Amino acid sequence: MSEQEYYVPHGTYWPIIGSIGISTLFIGLANQMHGVEWGGSVMGLGFAILVFMMFGWFGQVVNESTNGIYNKQVDRSFRWGMSWFIFSEVMFFAAFFGALFYARALSVPWLGGADNNIFTPDLWNAFSASWHQMAFLAPGTELQSGTVMSFPEVPATGIETATPAMVVDPWGLPALNTGLLLASGVTLTFAHHALRAGHRNQIVGWLVATIALGVAFLGFQVMEYGHAYADGLKLTSGIYGSTFYMLTGFHGFHVTVGAIMLTVILYRVQKGHFDADNHFGFEGVAWYWHFVDVVWLGLFVFVYWL
Amino acid sequence: MTTATDTTATGHADHHHGPEKGLMRWIKTTNHKDIGTLYLWFAFTMVLIGGAMAMVIRMELFQPGLQLVDPHFFNQMTTMHGLIMVFGAIMPAFVGLGNWLIPMMVGAPDMALPRMNNWSFWILPFAGGILLSTFFMEGGAPAFGWTFYAPLSTTFAPDSTDFFIFAVHLLGFSSIMGAINIIATVLNMRAPEMKLMDMPLFVWTWLITSFLLIGAMPVLAGAVTMMLTDRNFGTAFFDATGGGDPVMFQHIFWFFGHPEVYIMILPAFGVVSHIIPTFARKPLFGYSSMVYATASIAFLSYIVWAHHMFLTGMPVAGELYFMYATMMIAVPTGVKVFNWIATMWKGSMTFETPMLWAISFVFLFTIGGFSGLMLGIAPADIQYHDTYFVVAHFHYVLVTGALWSIIAATFYWLPKWTGKMYNEGLAKVHFWWAVISVNVLFFPQHFLGLAGMPRRIPDYALQFADFNMISSIGGFAFGASFILFTYIIIDAIRNGEPATKRPWEGAKGLEWTLDPKAEYHSFNKPPSRKLIEQESQNS
Amino acid sequence: MTEIVVVIIIVAILVALGFGLIGMVKGGREGSDKMFKSLVTRVTLSVLLFLLVLFSGYMGWIEPNVVMVDAPVAQSPAQK
Repeated sequence: MSEQEYYVPHGTYWPIIGSIGISTLFIGLANQMHGVEWGGSVMGLGFAILVFMMFGWFGQVVNESTNGIYNKQVDRSFRWGMSWFIFSEVMFFAAFFGALFYARALSVPWLGGADNNIFTPDLWNAFSASWHQMAFLAPGTELQSGTVMSFPEVPATGIETATPAMVVDPWGLPALNTGLLLASGVTLTFAHHALRAGHRNQIVGWLVATIALGVAFLGFQVMEYGHAYADGLKLTSGIYGSTFYMLTGFHGFHVTVGAIMLTVILYRVQKGHFDADNHFGFEGVAWYWHFVDVVWLGLFVFVYWL
Repeated sequence: MTTATDTTATGHADHHHGPEKGLMRWIKTTNHKDIGTLYLWFAFTMVLIGGAMAMVIRMELFQPGLQLVDPHFFNQMTTMHGLIMVFGAIMPAFVGLGNWLIPMMVGAPDMALPRMNNWSFWILPFAGGILLSTFFMEGGAPAFGWTFYAPLSTTFAPDSTDFFIFAVHLLGFSSIMGAINIIATVLNMRAPEMKLMDMPLFVWTWLITSFLLIGAMPVLAGAVTMMLTDRNFGTAFFDATGGGDPVMFQHIFWFFGHPEVYIMILPAFGVVSHIIPTFARKPLFGYSSMVYATASIAFLSYIVWAHHMFLTGMPVAGELYFMYATMMIAVPTGVKVFNWIATMWKGSMTFETPMLWAISFVFLFTIGGFSGLMLGIAPADIQYHDTYFVVAHFHYVLVTGALWSIIAATFYWLPKWTGKMYNEGLAKVHFWWAVISVNVLFFPQHFLGLAGMPRRIPDYALQFADFNMISSIGGFAFGASFILFTYIIIDAIRNGEPATKRPWEGAKGLEWTLDPKAEYHSFNKPPSRKLIEQESQNS
Repeated sequence: MTEIVVVIIIVAILVALGFGLIGMVKGGREGSDKMFKSLVTRVTLSVLLFLLVLFSGYMGWIEPNVVMVDAPVAQSPAQK
């Protein structure tokens, strides 16, 4: 296997199809956002082209791999590629976590006059900035719960005291979801162990469990969004809503992608593509799943608790 | 999809084929040389488009008063000129050079992930097309400057901004895939006998640049994504009424933006570190210090971003930290400049065209570096901020730095790419034409800035008239020099004298051991230790 | 205090995850072992962290970060 020359594929149509697909998707999305009628359908078309490209491209790679065209060096190229792709994902999440920390530690306190420097204006008397508030409500604003904002009466504690409605309770769904995702990490580890030990039947069981836990997580996440929206925490609810939904939303997207990839791996396990020594496809996806899991832990701790 | 047996059969049979014929060759290609060529021509086209926009800017600024274009269109010109030059010209040109040269320099058959290599190029024309199409949309192209600060780019921007955002996403995918490919190539495809410290400096600088790209581009993707949701879905990342902060946009943008400027200059350092030793006929002075200096510059580039924001709101402690951290970058950069000078010291120098470009790079880039140092002094920046001094500074580092090295590399490696020599006499005329006109163009802008002329304005006060006219004349002359450049390149490809394997007698590097026009598939057998040692810069 | 412990464990998880990645890049039996061990470490630490956060919350050592008001019915003049 390792004696062969490095495999350089001859020609390929997949990239140009992918470019057409992703451009169509983006053009459709942009038009959809601007209220153009055909936006949605063009977006769907682009998505379909992209899915077609992925099936074709990855299918070809899987085929080449199972036919033994790849030597050890090609395998290592894939490993390097996957690891740096994941690093780019880490940096993408870092941008959103950075926004969360910056807003919480600096910009919101400054709006409330913290640090007493020239960048911290006095918005109005007795205004107290709080990370918990959704928008900076002025005195006299009426809330859905019927409370009228009246700051002078609640000095120094701000809006929080005015209406302490608990919309996102970390003891409810979030804790359950964290448990689910952590459990999926555990079952995936068992699957990994089974694969390394060569017990194919066990792998399938543990993988199915992992995927099921992931899907359950997504279901509960949708439920939580429903609760939060009903209680008034929306994407438009100021910086808290923005960071909350963008972080959990991108995380949910990654869980979805991870679950799809795990399903493909499940299929490949059943086809017998992997053995105890040779299973990069599994390792790459497993690491991705662990990464997504850790991102959620970070979310659970920093968004819900600390 | 082909069946399993077919794939095996074609996979092996096709291995040593030459290129396909016709247009399909370029669309389907997985060959690093073809893809490098595509990148270089794409970048060249973009230089001409972005350059045309620069001509509009300089024409409008030729005299005070509003003459040619309305101010809104002027703003579109400055914005798109910057975006196209950064994302469409300089970055793809360096990826093109990397594609062409890195596999040859490390003794590899091709890039590590050839199909992905094709995709990272073929996203670019689509991204460029979407970006340019914004000109024809209602409200015109983005007009908020290439840094697209919120809220100019969120609350007050035209609808076309969403297309701009997606174009940036696509350009980001392309850069990240390109960078992943280069890392995998350098670390995995290197000839087994080549140690890391045997690698040519262009390879080293590109490897480090790739880390910068993978660290910085996703952050840009995050920034434009927040912009997108702020614009369309009512989030409040950059909106103070919802507890966000427009200054946060600048922090995120420059966390990408500062590594970005090193993404555009580190490969240039690599190119110059090849050309100067060749024509000084001496080994590169301080090879390992060059490597360490590149790595330190890359590291420092991540922790100095807020020096772009001294006037936008930061506690004094922050200003001081970012000022001192910025000053530190001068140390490794100084190491590099002194190493190039020491390489030339007592060398038996000749001044062929690539060397002329490289020496003028060292001289002019250093001017740009020093003006950068001036801008990095927080109290002094209060005077310089957002004036033409800044414009002069970054054009000295990007035009006479990055672009200079790309032109130098083109002349230096053109024989290897085409098997032909260019016309040395004409090339020298072109060099002197360009180097004089570029200084007439940008040097007066220092004075304009120090006298207080703001950047990004279509009209100005009368006292700035003379220098602006001089600058515009230089600009037109510099723009015209590209006509001659195009002629020289096409003339070389068509009618050039055949080149030898090693057209520069002092040149070292594995690429010079290949045929005069490098074979379509080079280094199917990795080079031997002896050959690597002979061709190493570090000996 | 609890916060510091939590952050330290998170950093440890990230380090374990990072070692897993290095193992994956290395490949072969050796890399595979390294990857698997690191991932087991990261799963164990994660479970530990989860229990710690829940217990600290239960004991009241840390406060949830989620007290919210609901949205305003009408826009007040001062709010733009």
